[in-house]
Amino acid sequence: MERLNENLKTEFSIAASALRKRLKERPDRENLRDLIEKSGLGRFKRSRRMTNDELKSLSEKGGIVGVDGSTNSTAGSFPYVITVQQSLAKSTAVQEEIYYSRVLCPLFMQEDMDEAEYLELTKSSLASLEAMAAIEAVEKLKPAVILVDGSLVRLKIEAKSLWGDLKKAAIDKGILLVGVVEGITTKIISAALKESLPEAMKGACDWELLFGALDVGEGLEVVPTGLKEGFRTVFMRTSLDPKPIGIDLLEEQYEYMEQVENLVFTLTPQDGRGIPLWLDLVDKKVKISDALLEGLLKAYLGEDFSEFLTPKRAKRSP
Amino acid sequence: MQVVGLTTPQEVFVASRERKFRINEILVIEDPHQGSLIGEVVEANSYNRFIPLSINHDFVDARVIESLERLGYSISEDEINIARVKLRNEASFPVTTGAKAHLPEFSEVKDLLVRSTPQEGLALGEIKNTEETADTMDENLKGLFYVYTKGEKKKTKNVPFLLDLKSFQQYPHIGIFGGSGSGKSYGLRVIMEELMLKEIPAIILDPHYEMDFSTKEEGLEGTPDFKSAFKKFQIGEDIGVEFLALGKRDLLDLLSAVKPLTEAMSSAVEILHRRGDTLLSFSSRLELLAEALELGRIRIEKILQQDMEPQEREKYKKMKELLEEYPNIPLVSVQGIAWRLRRLQASGLFNHNIKPVKEALLQGKLAVIQGPIWLLQVFSTYLLANLYRARRDYKDGELKGNAKGEYFPPFVIATDEAHNFAPKGYDAPSKGIITEIAQEGRKYGVFLVLATQRPTLLDETVTAQLNTKIIFRTVRGHDIATITEETDIGAEEAKRLPYLPSGDAFVSSPLFGRTVAIRVRLPYTKSPHTLNPFDEIKNYRQKAEERLLDLLETHLPIYETNLLKVIQALNAEAPDLKLEVRTLKESLETLVKSGKLQKTDTPFGAMYHHQ
Ligand SMILES: Nc1ncnc2c1ncn2[C@@H]1O[C@H](COP(=O)(O)OP(=O)(O)OP(=O)(O)O)[C@@H](O)[C@H]1O
Ligand SMILES: [Mg+2]
Repeated sequence: MERLNENLKTEFSIAASALRKRLKERPDRENLRDLIEKSGLGRFKRSRRMTNDELKSLSEKGGIVGVDGSTNSTAGSFPYVITVQQSLAKSTAVQEEIYYSRVLCPLFMQEDMDEAEYLELTKSSLASLEAMAAIEAVEKLKPAVILVDGSLVRLKIEAKSLWGDLKKAAIDKGILLVGVVEGITTKIISAALKESLPEAMKGACDWELLFGALDVGEGLEVVPTGLKEGFRTVFMRTSLDPKPIGIDLLEEQYEYMEQVENLVFTLTPQDGRGIPLWLDLVDKKVKISDALLEGLLKAYLGEDFSEFLTPKRAKRSP
Repeated sequence: MQVVGLTTPQEVFVASRERKFRINEILVIEDPHQGSLIGEVVEANSYNRFIPLSINHDFVDARVIESLERLGYSISEDEINIARVKLRNEASFPVTTGAKAHLPEFSEVKDLLVRSTPQEGLALGEIKNTEETADTMDENLKGLFYVYTKGEKKKTKNVPFLLDLKSFQQYPHIGIFGGSGSGKSYGLRVIMEELMLKEIPAIILDPHYEMDFSTKEEGLEGTPDFKSAFKKFQIGEDIGVEFLALGKRDLLDLLSAVKPLTEAMSSAVEILHRRGDTLLSFSSRLELLAEALELGRIRIEKILQQDMEPQEREKYKKMKELLEEYPNIPLVSVQGIAWRLRRLQASGLFNHNIKPVKEALLQGKLAVIQGPIWLLQVFSTYLLANLYRARRDYKDGELKGNAKGEYFPPFVIATDEAHNFAPKGYDAPSKGIITEIAQEGRKYGVFLVLATQRPTLLDETVTAQLNTKIIFRTVRGHDIATITEETDIGAEEAKRLPYLPSGDAFVSSPLFGRTVAIRVRLPYTKSPHTLNPFDEIKNYRQKAEERLLDLLETHLPIYETNLLKVIQALNAEAPDLKLEVRTLKESLETLVKSGKLQKTDTPFGAMYHHQ
């Protein structure tokens, strides 16, 4: 091993021991479940795999649609960047696929913006592409369920103008709108249990607290609060992976919670990272990879101009 | 369809979204710099681009994929098909990635696939996976025969595999290899049918008694009639050897075929057999000598001093002479030889000759030679040597400008179980002549078609001379090794050998310069006994049961207490059944079990009666 700078070593070991201490302070499984149950924060429930008949009837009602988006930008320094985005809605039952795409470049924006604003813009742009794909899926693919990669709250916030249309369309057509969240960022549990948690855990994310606390197929349905108002949320361990995922559903469609849980559980591979295989497939299909981005640049901008947008640093091998 | 990924001058990958590839399919690759390149699919894969085969090295939960399918997803929808394609001729430099590829029109690959015409070639079967190319084929090549696939007899839709007759001049001999049930007999049958259609004189040695061509396969249209195109000969019944024409070597072979000769016996035969011997002269010499050896010289001389009929005297005088002539031959040897000779005689072997076979060949027919394998081996030695000599003498005469010799045509010799006729590592009577024909037959137009389950057991000199090899399913590692050594079959094909379905084969022939995957056509005729052994048992049982039921008819109802009387009656009607109380009772129970009879308990014991 290379000789490490002594100072760096010390700094790192301090951080590591703090982290270890925090992990040790996590309430153990039984303890946590107890706390949650007593606090009235939510309830634990188990889901099961759907039967063939259930799946068949879902298929007869139009199958399911997965919605996901992808964004990728060239590595240049702002504002010399191009951002390519696309969204896809894909049904298990209908061959037609719905794509929306958009290309952004801060150099040609009407109003001046800084890098942070541009980042916000790309986020909401992507969310709107996803919402557009979902809305068109409601009209054209007429599925029984739409699984969105990511939380519904995110769509509501980032694609404000389209969210209302999407929600209305889904409710009118009786199509269940479901958000599947792989990286949970909420802190619902720690917020609710503040008093009873050890100091280090006070601001912990939901996933950290629930890590390993659920059995495979088990979920924790939490009572809606704050931001999540208008939605129902359940944290669920859908695979052997101890890290739970989140499932969002519209308040208006709450009565279908159990079926939705079962569906997500059924479509998730045991050995996977917890999200339904169908979303995995849509993700792969929609993905704008670096290679694709580079190909687009080379093909449409030409080698010489691409150089402009790809700084030397990015080309250096890792 | 286009070339993807890393390419080499020998091999490329071709991908297609729409079409699944099949092994052995021929593709044309349009390289923008090198022009059209022709290649053959050696490996075909399909996969869904988006569903990973594994997550963390484990296979994806099959349940999940099944669930998706139930939700209407067809896993083949996002499928991509990839073929590994080996180029026929090495390209000058690696093929351009992205080059388009297409399935060939017939004209693009004609020379690669068809090396003859239906008139001049033996139509052995179809070249696998050539449907699309066959669409653009000349009409006269289409639908030449039937194939049997997936339980159906259908006119071929592929390009035919034609083995050109003229090419025999250059590549005279054919080997047919394959494990049990792989399709060798069908293949031999097809070759024989083709030879008959072309009126090529041929002989087939048939140890399995399966080469009869009079029963037509059902459900085929326009089947030729072979009844007058072949002749069946049973050794000892229709044909045999002329004792007078036997050389010492032939005789030794014949005798040892019955049972191997001891060294003493062999030398005794050498001494005792004389030029010009008839069966009678030779066998009476043996018998007389045996008797003389038993009596001994002293007793014979004593007898000769007595008074007796002149004929008798003659006999004893002969004995004395024989003893003087052959003083050193042991009695057991003479007895052993005499015993063997009597067995040969009893088989009828010496009552006939091979003239009928010669005639059949002269008429351009197929001669089917049947007999038990031990007899077939020695007889074929004699037969083949004779026929070969006849042909050679004629041909040599012609060469010397002496065309007066008796005409004898070129001909084909075929046999199954060839490793018995020319075994590796030890001697067999027929090995010499087969080796000779393998090495020199080409000059005289005498060709071999040798089939065997065990190529490893076939004499190497012979194997090396088999130019065209038809290789069916082979499972044994040893045999696969022999085959890869002896043919131009590649590693890819060798790997597939254990999995070929019956009737599929690889043909390795210098004429084609590559291994061709074929499906042997459905023969027009079928063997008299193609019943599968289990059907055979079932049939037999059924027949026996029906017969018994017939016989029982008049005796029904039958009381258990009265079986003896029934048996007496039955045994009088059908003595061959040899019924006893026990066996009859068992049979009755079986009939009850199969529902043909009913059993009811009565005050007089059980009663068997109709339903
Ligand atoms: N060309 C063919 N077309 C259709 N079916 C075939 C073909 N060849 C073989 N079969 C099927 O396979 C079976 C076995 O074939 P065959 O009798 O030719 O095997 P074999 O190689 O001679 O076996 P064995 O060495 O045991 O004699 C046949 O009875 C037939 O059902
Ligand atoms: Mg056979």
